Amino acid sequence: MAGNAAGMFGLRLTAASCAMLMVAFGQSALAQGLQKAQTAGPLQRVLPPVLMGPRQPPPVLSEPRPQPVEKVEADVSTRSVEVTTGFTGHEILVFGAIDNSQQPEDATDNYYDVVVVVEGTPYPVVVRRKSDVAGVWINTSSVLFASVPSYYAIASTRPVDEIAGPAVLELNSIGFAHIKMTPSPGIWWKLNEYELAGFKAAVIRLKQKEHLYVVEAKDGVTFTGRSLFRSTIALPANVPVGPLVARTYLFRNGEVLSAHIARVRLERKGIERVLHDFAFRDPFAYGVIAVMLAVIAGLAGSMFFRRETA
Amino acid sequence: MNIYLPIAEMSVNVAVFLGMGCAVGFLSGMFGVGGGFLLTPLLIFMGVPSAVAVGTGSMQILASSVAGGIAQYRRKNVDIKMGLVLVGGGVVGAVIGVALVRILRQIGQFDLFVSLSYVLFLGAVGALMLIESIGAIRRARSGQPVTARKTGQHSWVHGLPFKMRFNRSKLYISAVPPALIGAFVGFMAALMGVGGGFVMVPAMIYLLRVPTSVVIGTSLFQIMFVMAATTLLQAMQNKTVDVVLALLLIVGGVVGAQLGVIAGARLKGEQLRFLLAALVLLVCLRIGWELIARPDEIYSIGPLLGAS
Repeated sequence: MAGNAAGMFGLRLTAASCAMLMVAFGQSALAQGLQKAQTAGPLQRVLPPVLMGPRQPPPVLSEPRPQPVEKVEADVSTRSVEVTTGFTGHEILVFGAIDNSQQPEDATDNYYDVVVVVEGTPYPVVVRRKSDVAGVWINTSSVLFASVPSYYAIASTRPVDEIAGPAVLELNSIGFAHIKMTPSPGIWWKLNEYELAGFKAAVIRLKQKEHLYVVEAKDGVTFTGRSLFRSTIALPANVPVGPLVARTYLFRNGEVLSAHIARVRLERKGIERVLHDFAFRDPFAYGVIAVMLAVIAGLAGSMFFRRETA
Repeated sequence: MNIYLPIAEMSVNVAVFLGMGCAVGFLSGMFGVGGGFLLTPLLIFMGVPSAVAVGTGSMQILASSVAGGIAQYRRKNVDIKMGLVLVGGGVVGAVIGVALVRILRQIGQFDLFVSLSYVLFLGAVGALMLIESIGAIRRARSGQPVTARKTGQHSWVHGLPFKMRFNRSKLYISAVPPALIGAFVGFMAALMGVGGGFVMVPAMIYLLRVPTSVVIGTSLFQIMFVMAATTLLQAMQNKTVDVVLALLLIVGGVVGAQLGVIAGARLKGEQLRFLLAALVLLVCLRIGWELIARPDEIYSIGPLLGAS
């Protein structure tokens, strides 16, 4: 049967040269996809390269049917969050389903594990350390991390350390310890690994203090039935404005089976947006209006004041 | 009720910030000071980024100096000519100050510099006022008359060139010292988010020998223009003026200032000065303590500046 299939394939190749070209193109695209997968960010690495290249030629029908592969599909409740003058934070719901779930109906142990990571736009961060100089605490050393996520929330079915080994977590940037933070060259060469680790830990600690790096409570991701899961991520009021990326990973026995990516837009809206854009796009006019507002307020105050004392 | 501040990028409670503006306004109305030296540290304490606190503080001081300046102008307590010389120096000082803010933020020493300046100036001015007011209270208790200012005294100030006649101050002195005082105050204003009245008023009284009645109005005149320039410069160069935050503080301040004036009218001048000196020294000690006490967290994080 297998031989028959190979013959069919060969026949097709010889019969139509254009089909051959198509196959060749498909293969090179596959190779490119693999290369890309090695160099690109955390998510692309776990996605099957098939998803990235152009369409493959149709699979050979006569091959033995492979075991159905689990695939995770997810989405967020709110695609677009508006930061207005009344913004006090927002809760987003990340929900999804596992295709071809083989989870037993009565599974109480962690047959599958799901991890949801919501990350803000990376930005450069300067970390400074104070030391005692003649009795006064002064910033004496600093490290520039070229790219640090402005926001990082993680929710999972159980603590991530129990889900997978450090290598897998590192590869996919799952967990505070595995957030990608590369120090910019030039400043940090004076510091040893141990000192650098102190600076990294400080970023995570300070971000946690500002409620910008968050681990959702123990049952961060909960299953409903065999394949449906949900997780709520509470964006705090001080969440930095910018696009957010929600990555959902499906684990089984410490390996990533599938991953899915969803995006949330976080934008200023209303008067809040008008003012912020105005201040940054036309700082001169903004400054003039600020001065005028203050003068008018002062005049109004002095008139009020005069009436009171007269 | 919470409101999201567009520049400070934080959600704040409206009542808390109105109350803060009111409290600072009360003290400034009572003592006749701008209150910037109280407001800026308070804002930083409340979690407003220090640069935004300084930038927004200048807008709030502008509003309160307009209100105060108008009242003084009606009473003809403003020496416009002297004021213009002070403003000229002040704008130059402010330009240098705003540029220095940018450099200090880039090298990560802005907070240190601001704290050191506060400790230095508040400590010096507070101590001088305390000593002077205690002396005055003692003299008042023992029944001695308060010594009047001697006119016609000459010092090195009077030997400088570019002499000008300042009619309302009844002075014929060089324009250089007032211009330098103005420049220094403008520089401080940009750097520390204060009006600088607490330095300018003693400097004008003791160095220039401007009559006390004219000093406050003229210094408010200078503060008004220098703060307008500073607000504009901070908005343009550092983008750290939060209009929403400033309006909250201004509204609170207007109400507080009226109550403060009523409360202040019940106290004697030297008693007021004594209380103000104590307040100034308290703020100074609080900031100074933070510089020398071992901090809970020796690391701090901030965005990279000057990248865009």
